[in-house]
Amino acid sequence: MAAVNEDRMQATERLQRELAALIATVEHPNGTCMVTASPKGEIKALHLHPSLLQQGAQAVGQVVTETVRLATNAAVQASFNKMALALGDGMAIDVESIAGDSPFRSTWNPVVPPKAPAEQAPPERRPRTPRAEDSDDDAFFDNPSWLR
Amino acid sequence: MDDDVERAARKVRDVEQAVTEHVTRSGPVTGRASSPDGAVTVVATPGGPPQQIAVSPAALRMGPQALAAEIMRIADKAQRNANTRLHQTLERVVDPRELTAMGIERGRDEDEFGWRP
Repeated sequence: MAAVNEDRMQATERLQRELAALIATVEHPNGTCMVTASPKGEIKALHLHPSLLQQGAQAVGQVVTETVRLATNAAVQASFNKMALALGDGMAIDVESIAGDSPFRSTWNPVVPPKAPAEQAPPERRPRTPRAEDSDDDAFFDNPSWLR
Repeated sequence: MDDDVERAARKVRDVEQAVTEHVTRSGPVTGRASSPDGAVTVVATPGGPPQQIAVSPAALRMGPQALAAEIMRIADKAQRNANTRLHQTLERVVDPRELTAMGIERGRDEDEFGWRP
C-alpha cells in the first residue's frame, strides 16, 4: 500500500511538473504571426512575418492579440489532454465541471474575419495536409488538430 | 471521489460568487504597460492572454524581430501588473496564497499608473 501511495505521489509530482512546463505554438490563420504561449497567457516566443508590418499598426496589434489567444487556448487544451491521459477522462470531465469547459469544447474563436488588406497571406504558405480521421470517440481526443 | 469533486465545485462557486460581487463593485481587474516611447501598449488580464495589444505606427520601423521582442517585454510587464492588481483587489475575499498557488504571482510593484488600493 505504501509503495502504491509513493507511486501515486511521484506520478502527481511528475504531472504537475509537466503541466507547469507546458506550452503551445500556434500560427495565425493568415500565416503572418506565430506565437508560443503558456496556459496562463504568457508569450514565450513571438514571430512576426515582415508582411504583417506592411498591413499597418492596427493589423499588427489585432493579429498578435488573436494569435496569443489561440496559442493560450491550445496550451490550456493540451493541459486538459495531458491531465486526461494521466488521470482518465472521468477526472478531466470532473475538472471541467469545476473550472469550466476546455477550449475545444467551448467553441469561442478569437479570430476576427480579416478585412481586405489583412487576408493577404504570404505566398509561400501552403495549406496543411489533412489529418487522418480518428475513429476513437474519446471525449478529449476527437479533435486531432489540438494534438500537436 | 464524487463528494470531493462536489465539495471542490461548491467551494469554487462560493469563491466565484464572492469575486463576482467584488469585481462588480470595483470593475474588471486588468494590468497595463507601455514602452517608454509609446511603441507598444498592452492591456493584460490576470492569468490569461492579453486583452489588447496596440502598436504605434512609428513602431513598425523597428522591424519584425525588434518589435516582437518589445511586444513580449511589454506583455510580460502588463501581465505582472495585472496579477499584482488581482492580489490587491481580492486579498480581502480570497487567500492570496491560493492565488499564488494558482500561478498568479504578486509582484513587488509593477504599477506605473498609480494604483490606488
